[in-house]
Amino acid sequence: MVDRFRVLVIEDDGGESALLWQLLDDCAEARELRPLRVSLVADMAAALAGYGALRPELVVFGPMATPRASAGDLEQLRSRAGLEPVPILFVLSGGEPMTSACLRIGCDDILLKPYNRNLVQLKLAALQRFCDFNRRLLAQRDRIRRHHADLLQEQAGARHIFHKMGHESCLDQTEAIRYHLSPGAVLNGDVLTAAYGPGGKLMLLLGDFTGHGLAAAVGAVPLTAIFYSMVSKGFSLGHILRELNAKLHSVLPAAMFCCAAMFELDPHKGHIRLFNGGMPSACLRRRDGNLRLLESRHLPLGVLDPAAVEDAIVHIPVEQGDRLFLCSDGIHEARSPRGELFGERRLLEALSAERPAGELFDHILAAVGRFSAHQHDDLSLVEVALDNAAPWRGAGWALDGEQSPKAVRIGDWSINFTLGPEELRDADPLPLLHSVLAQVPGAGSFQDPLTIVLGELFRNALEHGLLQLDSALKGTDWGFSEYYRQLHRGRRALREGWIRIALRCRDRGGRGLLEVVVEDSGRGLPERIHSGNAYSGRGLPLLRAICRKVQIQPGSSRVRAVLNWGGARRVRRKAGAGGR
Amino acid sequence: MLASEKTVAGVSAELSEGGDALVIRVTGNFDFNMHREFQRAYQNLSPSPKHYCIDLSETLHLDSAALGMLLLLRDHCLGDGDDPEQCRVELMNANEHVGRILTVSNFDKIFTIR
Repeated sequence: MVDRFRVLVIEDDGGESALLWQLLDDCAEARELRPLRVSLVADMAAALAGYGALRPELVVFGPMATPRASAGDLEQLRSRAGLEPVPILFVLSGGEPMTSACLRIGCDDILLKPYNRNLVQLKLAALQRFCDFNRRLLAQRDRIRRHHADLLQEQAGARHIFHKMGHESCLDQTEAIRYHLSPGAVLNGDVLTAAYGPGGKLMLLLGDFTGHGLAAAVGAVPLTAIFYSMVSKGFSLGHILRELNAKLHSVLPAAMFCCAAMFELDPHKGHIRLFNGGMPSACLRRRDGNLRLLESRHLPLGVLDPAAVEDAIVHIPVEQGDRLFLCSDGIHEARSPRGELFGERRLLEALSAERPAGELFDHILAAVGRFSAHQHDDLSLVEVALDNAAPWRGAGWALDGEQSPKAVRIGDWSINFTLGPEELRDADPLPLLHSVLAQVPGAGSFQDPLTIVLGELFRNALEHGLLQLDSALKGTDWGFSEYYRQLHRGRRALREGWIRIALRCRDRGGRGLLEVVVEDSGRGLPERIHSGNAYSGRGLPLLRAICRKVQIQPGSSRVRAVLNWGGARRVRRKAGAGGR
Repeated sequence: MLASEKTVAGVSAELSEGGDALVIRVTGNFDFNMHREFQRAYQNLSPSPKHYCIDLSETLHLDSAALGMLLLLRDHCLGDGDDPEQCRVELMNANEHVGRILTVSNFDKIFTIR
């Protein structure tokens, strides 16, 4: 059924109004316009009273009503119409001159008496087209409004989900990490995750997905899930990055990827391993104010599979007072009101400002804010005090205050593992051991110390037993990197050899012993183990701090460590602070 | 108005005589707003060119959406050639700012940059 064109005629002379009605009807029919529904009212009061019910699309003042119409009347009619521009016509009798009054009062058009049918037809047709166009416009506006409201609701939902997902992170559990994410970070595609792995290694990732809105946000879901699941199982930086890259490559559309900077801090060994794929340079600020830029050395995650992440990871020994800054390109691309970019130079200036270390973070944010006149905030900035980011405070673990002191039965059991060259080349045996130990009741209570001990002994067997690397190399910055290059190269070239790990547990009613024996097929430790080889660094003091007993035989490739629990099972913090 | 002072942003493309090389020039800010124009520049060409040159001499800025578009072009290029060696995408004449964005993203590892 055709929607009729609603016309309101205001006229108190019955003859005139009947004539108008007939005329308009005839014209509409002659031009095959939308048929009309004409409503007649005698005066303004009736017009205003009926306006809401009639919802006219056109208002006509008849020849008798026109001289009485005032600007105030028209204003009232228009305010009833709201946003819809309803045209108002005046009818002037032929004899009357068209006075400037019509213009002053503000009608939209006039009809002249005697009526010229052709002219009225043209006007009516034009007015209908105008009204139809306007109606479609309003309908579109309403649809866009609805879509926008839906979009905002979806975004609020997304923000809620991401906020909850962030709860797994340790960002707010340590004073060592400060971070700023813009309010719309999720929908800008920025993502920040951080967690402590077993043994106290801190892993942190700052990522930036291509694009904006929900499409950019959804990529954060698999990333976050993989990050937290793998970090908690003790996987290495390289493994997690490879997994993230493969997953993002398979799920993201070709034009989408994720720039990411991620690092692993080993608080026992006092070094970080950092990966930067497509993010602005991370910046390491030394205590003396010197800056070291850690530029992107890899494609963003999700661009190519497979990824060569190991080659892009840099190793850096941590010194006292070191602070690491990661940021998204929102800082570089912050614009001043004149359109200038903040850029790397200004960022470096802010970073090297002579300020107490604790104030730098706010100083940088304030500098960017001043520069861009606080116009738009879509930047992310993270600061980590590297020498203070260990998960323990004083003598105890800071993050597992929940741990119950009461003894848990752990049972008597043993596990033996032998890893061949295939596994040693790129597999990560520690998560595997963890997954086995996770099944052992009560194993959680010694997970952290055990991780450290297993990690140390395994790395020793691999690096010094099988690959014969020389720790003395690590004495210089260059050598430090060279050491890890050699390790990576040597590992990939492994064709023979094995490492055997044996765990034996004895339960003595709440107090017990856990024996870890690691052996390898290498030539055995050299005679002078305390002066510049194998356990020269932090490894041995660390092991001695955690274990009741550490047995190392010169000439033998077998190391035995004994842990006990139920008594002291804490890492004495001093151990980590020894020379490297 | 100011229009005469600013170069008009846009994408133009020119096919070599033999039809085996396509030069795409991007003027202004190479960002998401360009994606339709950019894709139109290389899609539906028959036969497909073997060699694509992206001329960035008039490109002022390039964002991650543009990097994504370059990846799509690369996929397009790899997709219809049997031999990946046969197909090349070259990025040329980037200004210092744009060049830095390309190196930060390590795109020099998957594209030839001149």
